Amino acid sequence: MANIFIFLSIVLPIVFGFIIWFRQCDKVSGLLTYSLLPILTFMGFYVYSVDASIYIHTIGLLDFFIVTFDFFLLIYFAWIGMQRKSNLVIFLAIVQFILLIMVISIAPEVNTANIYVDKLSAMIYLLVALVGVPIAIYSLKYMDYNEKRKHTFIAIVVGFLGVMNFIVSVNNIEWFFTLFELTTLASVVMIGYRGDKESINNSTLALWMNQIGGVAILFSLLIMIKDFGVYHFTDLWQLDKTTITMAAFGFLSIAALVKGAQLPFHKWLLGAMVAPTPVSAILHSATMVKIAPFLLLRLSPVIQDTLLSKLLVLTTGFVFVAAAVFALTQNNFKKILAYSTISLLGLMMLAASIGSSMAVTISIILIIFHGIAKGFLFVEAGILEKLFKVKYIEDMNRLLEKAPLTLLFIIFGFLNMTFVPFGSFIGKWLMIEEASNFLSKGSSVLLIALVAIGGVFLSVLYMKVIGVAIKHHRFSKIKVYPQPKNFLFVSVWYYAILSILTIFIAPFIANFVSPIAIFITGKANGLYADGLSLVLGNSTLEFWQIIGAMILLIAIHVAPFIFKFKNVEQVHPYNCGEITKRDAQSYDFNFINNYESKINMIAITLFISVLIFGGNLL
Amino acid sequence: MIGLLMTIFSPIIGGLISGVERVVKARMQSRVGPPILQPFYDFFKLMDKRPIMIHSFHASMGVMYFISAWFAFAVLMLGNDLLIAVFFHVISILALSMGAFSVRSSYSIIGAMRELIHLASYEPVVILCVVGLYLSTGSFDISVILSSSNAPIFTLPLLFFAFVGAIPMMLHKSPFDVAEAHQEIIGGPDIEYSGPFYEAVYTGRWIENVFVYFLVFLFGGGNFILGAFLVVATFLLVTLIDNSTARLDYQRMLKFAWVILIPMAVFNIFFLALGGN
Repeated sequence: MANIFIFLSIVLPIVFGFIIWFRQCDKVSGLLTYSLLPILTFMGFYVYSVDASIYIHTIGLLDFFIVTFDFFLLIYFAWIGMQRKSNLVIFLAIVQFILLIMVISIAPEVNTANIYVDKLSAMIYLLVALVGVPIAIYSLKYMDYNEKRKHTFIAIVVGFLGVMNFIVSVNNIEWFFTLFELTTLASVVMIGYRGDKESINNSTLALWMNQIGGVAILFSLLIMIKDFGVYHFTDLWQLDKTTITMAAFGFLSIAALVKGAQLPFHKWLLGAMVAPTPVSAILHSATMVKIAPFLLLRLSPVIQDTLLSKLLVLTTGFVFVAAAVFALTQNNFKKILAYSTISLLGLMMLAASIGSSMAVTISIILIIFHGIAKGFLFVEAGILEKLFKVKYIEDMNRLLEKAPLTLLFIIFGFLNMTFVPFGSFIGKWLMIEEASNFLSKGSSVLLIALVAIGGVFLSVLYMKVIGVAIKHHRFSKIKVYPQPKNFLFVSVWYYAILSILTIFIAPFIANFVSPIAIFITGKANGLYADGLSLVLGNSTLEFWQIIGAMILLIAIHVAPFIFKFKNVEQVHPYNCGEITKRDAQSYDFNFINNYESKINMIAITLFISVLIFGGNLL
Repeated sequence: MIGLLMTIFSPIIGGLISGVERVVKARMQSRVGPPILQPFYDFFKLMDKRPIMIHSFHASMGVMYFISAWFAFAVLMLGNDLLIAVFFHVISILALSMGAFSVRSSYSIIGAMRELIHLASYEPVVILCVVGLYLSTGSFDISVILSSSNAPIFTLPLLFFAFVGAIPMMLHKSPFDVAEAHQEIIGGPDIEYSGPFYEAVYTGRWIENVFVYFLVFLFGGGNFILGAFLVVATFLLVTLIDNSTARLDYQRMLKFAWVILIPMAVFNIFFLALGGN
């Protein structure tokens, strides 16, 4: 049964995508997209509840088909390069082509299953269903506002969900490469969707940067086959950890860093923000970029406690801090979200590369909660853009008067990224506790400095953005304007999921997330739920704290609607009696840009050192 | 039990601290100063005033600031994880700065922004301080820290000084009172509050006093006399510095925190961790 569900999770969205594309009609698109929500969720749950690794052997024909498909994909990339006159793209496509031929010519016949599904994959199925499908639903309405080729767009989005499910189910790294390239293709097509000059340029940028990731995977495959004679994740875990060389894993980590848009390869994710907002939501924050921490989680059993893992921690930890600092300088709302995505991806990958049972748990918690909250925030960003014509922070000035409901959702999303008791906070908190734990044993000393000081910038950033929007005139009436039902449904959906998960966060983490980590690492992480309180060793996040923080934060963010002091006289702001133009804005932090080149230099150095020292290439 | 009592009476304790501070400050300037109970007289006077507000949201955020500061202190006293309490403290900053941002008053908005800069300056130091206490005593649990036989101050001297350096930022004392800056932005986030709502913000600040000095107390470990001594000494030192220095701008504050305090704290932690190996 599970096998069928896995098959359907992958194939159904792709088939639905094709149907939507052929029919090009509102009714079909709506029906199919909505129906995916319960179907994919149910199948995800079913696969998750199977308490064993699922191996599926596939027929040889499929292997042949995928490899052939890969060659066509590379030819297509080269053709894009020729059309856009980008020599870099052509060059990388040719390099990939040659490397792929080499890989195929030396790849031995291995009798390992090509599909491997464990709880981690099932978790991503669920993430795709619960976060990805609502975004597809949302684009049904979004694309009605001045956008072209609506149904093609929806078809790609829906089809992509299947690709995403596929890439987390593969065991064969050669297939992983194909799907990695396919997600790149999805990025490129989607970023260039609007077809103007900026979109095309940015999609070319995304193409060649991700191609570098592809080249890295191929190098890794070559080395892997030559050194170990295997090219499946599960086979890699069987290797004797004391004797293996790290070069192959170094290259794979590079691919993860590129896909996760870590500095200095962050420019492609920023450029991706020119695409229609559902693309930013689904590809560039909620699901696709999660391949990066996913890949590291797959590698973590092998690279744990090696120099490579330490260097990855350093690199991603640095990005965690640096990207948050950069985010302060941005004035485009979507770019702020993009930078904070990069920053938090850094934290996820940091946790994934540490590889202890607790760290893996943290990484998964962050993947889940960041996915939901960022999907939510991007959806709201799209609503702002389409209904209220707001794109920049300056436009957000006094947003509360124009779009109170949307602002309420945005604030809730932001709160979810950093405050007690929401998921991302739990991740950060557990990370500091885990790092302190390492520290008391005298290892990973630098880690604590990075995780302790990194989070604060994101808090400052979110509060700054909220602050700009919350300003309002003393007599302005805060009332909710009607919104399209579709937008409302998606917003409330995310809001409800986040609230419910947060209230039941202790059992959720202990009974849903911990088993995944135990499955990966084979060790318990010491977390358990005592009723609705989360216990870790001596420390407890008690339920009264969770619910208290929840009530405080909900009171704060719905305050414009609920608090109305009737008998209190309203006066003009005192402002020290001065009559000035009251358009004070928040700081722009532009001075940080002076350090940009230096920060990039450090990032490049760390990046190269991951490959050279971590991969032991010297 | 003591924790519960501390929590309930924390506004009163904070008011007393505030009163004593004013007296000490006055004596340092060779003045007599107000009576120790002056903050409470102010309290009753302000509560008696006609309530005035800009708009309900702003007023409610003042109250929320007080409630969340109190709640954060409750988490500190009644919970068993120091780190969580520190993160709860950020919620009160959120309420305060959102309130200050929400009015169309330049000084209030500048003050709110500076409040966030304060946060960026002291928060890492406080977190590192908690980590240091963990390293020294082996637990994030306050009751364990308060029963440890060796006082953390002896293993964390640099961290302690870093924390003392961060206290003026947390409590808005000179030279790092940029968010309040009375002569410059007239109280910053406080400026638009009046009457009972101002009182809420004011009381919230008292609780922050208690919060901060309780963290200082923890450095004494199981030795309560040492802890009390540290609190008094720190209190006097902070008041002295407050009296004898001029205000710095926010860039200098940020630089001071990130170039001096944080490296100091990190260095102490590294040293401890590597020594413990």
